[in-house]
Amino acid sequence: MNEPLADRECPVQPQSDWTPEEFANLYAEHSRAIFYLALRFLGDPQKAEDATHDVFLKAFRKMDQFRGEASWRTWLYRIAINHCRNLQQSWNERHMFSNADEAIWENAVAQSDSPLRVLETKELGERIQKALDALPDEYRLLLLLIADEQLSYEEVGTLTEQSADAVRGKLHRARKAFAATFKKTE
Amino acid sequence: MKQQNKFNSEQQQELAAQQHTTQNTAQEFATVEDLLRFDATQTSPPASLAPRLQQSSADIPRPNRPWWQKLFQR
Repeated sequence: MNEPLADRECPVQPQSDWTPEEFANLYAEHSRAIFYLALRFLGDPQKAEDATHDVFLKAFRKMDQFRGEASWRTWLYRIAINHCRNLQQSWNERHMFSNADEAIWENAVAQSDSPLRVLETKELGERIQKALDALPDEYRLLLLLIADEQLSYEEVGTLTEQSADAVRGKLHRARKAFAATFKKTE
Repeated sequence: MKQQNKFNSEQQQELAAQQHTTQNTAQEFATVEDLLRFDATQTSPPASLAPRLQQSSADIPRPNRPWWQKLFQR
């Protein structure tokens, strides 16, 4: 686990007058992490794309509210978590893989280098999604956040509104739950 | 006897190779976090997202400086 992001130098400094280049830098730095969280939390590639778009647009609108007390990554995660939770609450049921989703996976796979690796990656992604879908939201979110090496336990605790010790305890149970459900996807 | 030794040696090498392969597979994702990190490296935002966001952000006015910044940064 790395040092808290707030202690590290941000590539983009807090300010209210933004240039398109600075916003582009912020997107380049953090879009992969935000998209991955949205994808695996929501379980739907199209919803994840829309959510990532909305998260960065919200961030753009609220740039003047960023005080630099947390890192940019943490700030963006906070917006993303709230956004994804709101989306989830508005759905009547969890979305599972549909034919359309599978087509999107195949498109993503076609961009990879090696055919063998592609096949493995595709299967792995589907298995991971199925295993995560079977977990409670809290466990799913904890695992996704802690997998980001740029976040400390303290930052994950802040994002999920609990202490770092509580994160450690729940993470232990989340890992076991994931491992059990992941094995069932074989 | 020599033939038997050679056979054993080949068997051991084969067994060692199998164990090595198994260990490599198991070690590749030793923890759930490792597995998810690998998955994240294989997952990129769609290429269409950046231009879409660029268009959307161009349509909204940039936020004004807050009053306290104007006051203290004159």
